[in-house]
Amino acid sequence: MAEDVRTEPDQEPEEELETVEEQVDEGPPDDELVLKSQQGDVHAFDLLVERYHGKIYGLTYNMCSNREDAEDLTQEVFVKAFEALPRFKGKSSFYTWLYRIAVNKTINYRKKRNRKRALSLDQFDQEIKTDESYSDLTSKGSPLRNISLSELQIKLNEVLQTLSEKHRTVVVMHDMQGIPHEEIAKVVGASVGTVRSRLFYARRQMQAELSEFVK
Amino acid sequence: MKNETEEVMIETEADLLLKQLMHLKHYERPDEARMTRNKQNIMRQVREANANKRKSFGDLLEINIPWFFAEPKYGIAAVFVAFVVLQYAGITAQSSSESTGIYTSNNNIAALEQSSIGAATNSISYPSLPNNYQLFDTNQKSSDVMFVERLAPKK
Repeated sequence: MAEDVRTEPDQEPEEELETVEEQVDEGPPDDELVLKSQQGDVHAFDLLVERYHGKIYGLTYNMCSNREDAEDLTQEVFVKAFEALPRFKGKSSFYTWLYRIAVNKTINYRKKRNRKRALSLDQFDQEIKTDESYSDLTSKGSPLRNISLSELQIKLNEVLQTLSEKHRTVVVMHDMQGIPHEEIAKVVGASVGTVRSRLFYARRQMQAELSEFVK
Repeated sequence: MKNETEEVMIETEADLLLKQLMHLKHYERPDEARMTRNKQNIMRQVREANANKRKSFGDLLEINIPWFFAEPKYGIAAVFVAFVVLQYAGITAQSSSESTGIYTSNNNIAALEQSSIGAATNSISYPSLPNNYQLFDTNQKSSDVMFVERLAPKK
């Protein structure tokens, strides 16, 4: 498997992807808000925080499986982005650039805190009980039928934490946040083939861990 | 053959199980109050960072003339044009200051002599003397006037 070359947190990928545009909600476009923020308009940056806070929190939370760490990291990511904004040239979309900062910050944060952190998980929404996957998992024929929801959640997060940083990054971005391979490649600074390969091996490893759990 | 089929089935089951479990992650919801507090903290920190930020000369340049840095070739071209203009302006100024035409031309000298500025500034006005003004004492004789020979240099 090809190794990626990690770049500086605020370094921009070369190209912009069209898929990013689809994820932008209503309101002024990112470019306009970024320009105003670069000129010192903090209100424009507030709008960017509102727009991407949930996504960045989701990324950091799923990478750490610890909500306190995720909150700290989300905060650091946005502050770092604001400070680095004068160097943002717009070669990539703001969203891709922000994600790159978040991924690198999270990986560095975990390296610094080498010891294993306890899980601190968000609550499941009550809607989960109406979900088809949940019904299947708790049905009579399922190997996990005798396991409680909280146990399932803990096991899944534990399995995620067994992955290496680069494997977990692609799993979180693709399988949990629905980001396409091409965009993940831009964020992590690797080829699309490498991203697919990492995803494949990460899933295999997770399956192996879960099969042990089921037995 | 049977073993292969079983392996595929096991793999598919494990894959399905993983997908179902991963799908459940979508139902993990962060606490709204904590998220609001987190956003407020970010905005406060951003304001603090903005207040403390001293923009360097480089940052100011980047903000005010971003095209210069976004397209370095145009930036370099602009610097070259500015250099040429300054060089031309310098040469023009130098040649005009070195010119001595105003002093050498006859017309210019005549104009200068006639101008009141020249008379007022370059001439010293002496009081006019009466015609019968006596230069020497009346008792003085011509014999009083002595001629002194130049002394020969001492050897």
